[in-house]
Amino acid sequence: MENTRNVLDFFQKIVKEEPDVSAAVAAIRTLMNILENFGDGETLRGLSEELRKATEEMKKAECSITSVQSGCELFQRFITLTSLEQSNFKDCKEIMKKRGEIFLRKLQEARPKIARLGAPFILDGHKILTHSKSRVVLQTLVEAAVVSKKRFHVFITESHPDLSGVAMRDELLKHNIGSTLILDSAMGYVMESVDLVLVGAEGVVESGGIINKIGTYTMALCAKEMHKPFYVLAESFKFVRLYPLNQRDLPQELKFSSTIIESNHSNLLDQHPQVDYTPPGYLTLLFTDLGILTPSAVSDELIKLYL
Amino acid sequence: MPSLESEIEGIIETFTNNLKQRKFKGSRDLALNSVQLWKKIIGQMKWQNARELMDTIKKIGKDLAETAPSETVIGNMTRRMLKIVRDEYAMLQKGKQEESDLQDSLQKILTADESDSDYTKNIPLLKPAIMEHIGEFLAELESSEIDISAQALEHIHANEIIMTIGYSKTVSAFLKSAAKNRVFQVIVAECAPFFHGHQLAADLAEARISTTLIPDSAIFAMMARVNKVIIGTHSVMANGGLKAVCGTHTLALAAKHYSVPFVVCAPMFKLCPEYVCSLDQDGFNQFVSPEEVLNNDEGKLVSKVNVYNPIFDYVPPELVTLFISNTGGNAPSYIYRLLSELYHPLDVQL
Repeated sequence: MENTRNVLDFFQKIVKEEPDVSAAVAAIRTLMNILENFGDGETLRGLSEELRKATEEMKKAECSITSVQSGCELFQRFITLTSLEQSNFKDCKEIMKKRGEIFLRKLQEARPKIARLGAPFILDGHKILTHSKSRVVLQTLVEAAVVSKKRFHVFITESHPDLSGVAMRDELLKHNIGSTLILDSAMGYVMESVDLVLVGAEGVVESGGIINKIGTYTMALCAKEMHKPFYVLAESFKFVRLYPLNQRDLPQELKFSSTIIESNHSNLLDQHPQVDYTPPGYLTLLFTDLGILTPSAVSDELIKLYL
Repeated sequence: MPSLESEIEGIIETFTNNLKQRKFKGSRDLALNSVQLWKKIIGQMKWQNARELMDTIKKIGKDLAETAPSETVIGNMTRRMLKIVRDEYAMLQKGKQEESDLQDSLQKILTADESDSDYTKNIPLLKPAIMEHIGEFLAELESSEIDISAQALEHIHANEIIMTIGYSKTVSAFLKSAAKNRVFQVIVAECAPFFHGHQLAADLAEARISTTLIPDSAIFAMMARVNKVIIGTHSVMANGGLKAVCGTHTLALAAKHYSVPFVVCAPMFKLCPEYVCSLDQDGFNQFVSPEEVLNNDEGKLVSKVNVYNPIFDYVPPELVTLFISNTGGNAPSYIYRLLSELYHPLDVQL
């Protein structure tokens, strides 16, 4: 019990103290920490169990649960793939540690890579609509404005209930990027005047669709109706093994924070969901560190990894 | 980097001159000629290792591409050459076929031990291997048109009405090949202001295919009775969209309206790994002399109006039903996969 408390604290410390780090990377770093402190005399089975427990624990945190889940799944897969190559647990652990470092470094390279891929799609005079706050969208906009010297204007929704859009606007102001904060309900109003929509994602699911802050689906529907390109920027560690068919099909733990689920066992109907699912048909392209993908390419990637 | 011998410079200059004077007939001719040019360059140049060769190819390729920015085929062929060098190097060094999938993948992120080769080893067998590979590639280019038209019977059925636009050698060969076994009708949109459609109509009529020539403005009206649209294209962009002759978007929208299948014949060398779309007309389109639209004889008018004569149209991927390449049929959403097999991700930006 003592141990699991530590896990949550370690994880929350990263999330709180390093706002630049995605929840998925924080989760992976937490699991890496467990791996490093794991006794050499133990077994692979014991390690797996420990990691599973830690994953459950981290899902109690107040952050993007989808990202935590995708990060943990990826790490588990990493352990499995490595363990297939070595039979001795001690050697295996050494390789895992070594590869883990490379793995983490690659994850850190992901965001600048996406920014480089995405920035050329922003042209002078463009009007861009974005939703909520996303680190990778921010970095791409900054790359386009500062490195490529493009002049463009960004519309940001306030994104209730946590007003993350306001924080996004403050960040853009810091970089001298022209921006306008709009009401969530003004999405349809501004859509006719924007050239493209740029959003991040908490998770990219197997169908190629995305799970993201509530309101993303609405934005995608509006964009489709007005024939505006809808681009998603997401690191590949956000790929998650889920295949939701509709909104109701999304797991409760992704839609509501753990405190809400615990206190409202029977009646979640009264609660506001935090995320929604946008089906692949509404996405134009996904910009990932694996390259620019069409939604159907996402399932290819996931199949390649987990088959 | 070795200085380019004057002989090589000579061949390159002849090529660029031909390019500027538009001496190449169609994109297949251009592709063939540029690969032959590369074959000569790689064969005659002195290079120590693959790295050096690739740097030179990139440098020359960039110059060539700048000579004719709208000819995506040149860039594609440069990338193909780089890929061939990479493949042969990997094969000779590791003694095995490099995994066909060179794209970064999740799997790779998880399992990589750092071992990226830097292509600096001197391998004497590399040159003959590359030359042989290029030879095979040339043969593939030469047979691409035949390979595509061999699939004609799978797509054209008896008594169908096919619509097409402008002139495309590939489409002409495709239709003629089907006509050997099937009876069908073709409607050709003339494609103003260059009227290349006239040439196609004449070609098809000569092959005894029942052909109707229509003005571009009649495309929508005629679409109701059409069973299939089959067109060629200038290039296929990385998202599955088309860069095709101006008027194709109109045709595609009309086909969509009547739910008519929209089939595009595009050999593999036309696949371009760049994402350019209609948002970026400057980078995408080419504007030519407006003389064909408004003749200079009408002096009074010319001074009063703006005349544009763009060559290309962007057609978004959702309007395309199927691509027929020399290797078979593919959906637009699958283009990314073909691209990852054709080109190395590091070569996309030349």
